[in-house]
Amino acid sequence: MTAEGRRRRAFGQILLFAAGLVVLTAISAGSVYLVNEARNDSKWVVHTIEVENQVNALLLEVRRAESGARGYLLTREAGFRTDHEKAVAAIIPALDRLTRLIGDNPAQRQNIEQLSAAIETRLGQFAREIDFVGQGQPEKATALVSEAASAGTTIAIGSAGSAMIREEERLFQLRTANADRSQTLAASLTGIGSGLVVVLALISIWLVRRSARIRDEAEAQLRDANVNLEATIDERTADLREANDEIQRFAYIVSHDLRSPLVNIMGFTSELEELGKDIFRRIGALTRVPAGGPPVEAAEIPLDDADKQLSADFSEALGFIKSSIARMDRLISAILNLTREGRREFQPERIDTRDFIEAIVSSLAHQAAEAQAEIHIEPLPNIVSDRLALEQIFSNLIDNAIKYLKTGVPGEIRIRGRTKLGYAIFDISDNGRGIDPRDHQRIFDLFRRAGTQDKPGQGIGLAHVRALVRRLGGTMSVSSELNAGSTFTITLPINWNASNRNADR
Amino acid sequence: MPVTIIMIEDDEGHARLIERNIRRSGVNNEILSFTNGNSAMKHLFGPDGTGLAQKGNALLILLDLNLPDMSGIDILKQIKENKYLKASPVVVLTTTDDSQEIKRCYELGCNVYITKPVNYENFANAIRQLGLFFSVIQVPPAAS
Repeated sequence: MTAEGRRRRAFGQILLFAAGLVVLTAISAGSVYLVNEARNDSKWVVHTIEVENQVNALLLEVRRAESGARGYLLTREAGFRTDHEKAVAAIIPALDRLTRLIGDNPAQRQNIEQLSAAIETRLGQFAREIDFVGQGQPEKATALVSEAASAGTTIAIGSAGSAMIREEERLFQLRTANADRSQTLAASLTGIGSGLVVVLALISIWLVRRSARIRDEAEAQLRDANVNLEATIDERTADLREANDEIQRFAYIVSHDLRSPLVNIMGFTSELEELGKDIFRRIGALTRVPAGGPPVEAAEIPLDDADKQLSADFSEALGFIKSSIARMDRLISAILNLTREGRREFQPERIDTRDFIEAIVSSLAHQAAEAQAEIHIEPLPNIVSDRLALEQIFSNLIDNAIKYLKTGVPGEIRIRGRTKLGYAIFDISDNGRGIDPRDHQRIFDLFRRAGTQDKPGQGIGLAHVRALVRRLGGTMSVSSELNAGSTFTITLPINWNASNRNADR
Repeated sequence: MPVTIIMIEDDEGHARLIERNIRRSGVNNEILSFTNGNSAMKHLFGPDGTGLAQKGNALLILLDLNLPDMSGIDILKQIKENKYLKASPVVVLTTTDDSQEIKRCYELGCNVYITKPVNYENFANAIRQLGLFFSVIQVPPAAS
């Protein structure tokens, strides 16, 4: 899985959520708008019904006035007249109300003008009819009624009223349809929106599941890779160990086979030396022979100056050969010892470090006294490790500290210890001559030494110590400045076992 | 019956140095030198390989472990397993100073194990000590 792909997928998911949010907002806004619309439409529907009612109420009042007037005309009873007057009084407010209600509609305004005109005419007629009846001229009133009937005033009122009702019914149809449409729109908008949200949610779930699957796959791959890595490491470790063993065997065989010719070289060089002595003795004897006389017999015959020079050169040459052979032998022995150490199996055991170091220090007490050195042992952590290896490590380091003190300065050697994360850390510090930082790596190399070469040594100790520390699963380092003392730090596992070594190598 | 010293040593230089130092220590016994394992085996065990050829002979064997054709350990083993030869003292004289190897030789019945030192003083000294040992040791004749 590439980083690019991962970023793109994350971006896609964010986009998806954003889209969901937008859709939800749109649905909400749309719903609010459409619900408002629907309410508006409903209001108009109600308004239409109200207008219709008002028209009917107006027409009813007109009829009541009419019937009241007729009743009075026929019977002249005051009750009919009261009824008629009540109805007439109600007509004008009802008409006013109706006019107010339909103020928004020009078509209805026209109708209502006709209606008002007809009603006004009729109201006038009513008033005159009542007057005539009151004056006791009922026939004039009856004539007025028939005039009104023939002139169509009542019909005009009826037709204007029904025109208004028709118009309102038309509006009712229209507004109901509008309200229906708004509601349908709101419902479908909500439906579509919900559907969209569901779809987005499904896509999200799918994406999440897909990324979870990809993650699981990646995890599985990682696990596999880890397992493979471990196998590879094991393999490499085995290879390295084999190579290391091979080198050890090689070094062992080579150093042995080198030794064999060295025995001859040394042997015959020594023989030659003896031979040389014999030859020069004879030369001395021969040069002293008096003419014709027997050779002089003497244990030591002094040689001529020239012969003496020859003898000295001869001895010098042999001396160089012998010292070189001796040196070579020491180097071969050192390699042999190192390979032997490298092959030794460690035996871990619990070590009381303080007692252990004290024993080493007491074995070096003589050298320490000679060098006027004091050795301080601070509290040390106990560890489980190989006793022999530790002995070689510490005695080499303490011995070095004593060996390379500054002449004329009382030595002070300090051994400190502490623990950290399962490791014991030991510092062996001195106030000796120190080591140039340039030589810090070199001093750990086999047969290499640093500083003034005024002490005997092969350059093996530190190489050996470091090899041992590594085999014990530890590390070692030095911190030092020239003329400012040295501190060698060894880090060793507190509990050594064979697996420490495997893990380390 | 004079004791014969059988020297099995592939390095002729070493053989010469050993012989010289043995002579210097005053041992004048016959020294038979073999430079490889096979010719020594042929001489010791005879053409039939039974060791019957050496019956009744007093032998002292000087053996190097690093031979070109066979391992000195094998020779030691066969000598010590042979009924005619097993009484003969065997001195292992070799460059190998591995403690495992030394232990193995003693287990197989070697009488003396000497590591050849490079230092000639020590070398000559060791051989002279050996010569001294030769002159005092009672070498029994090969069993009848």
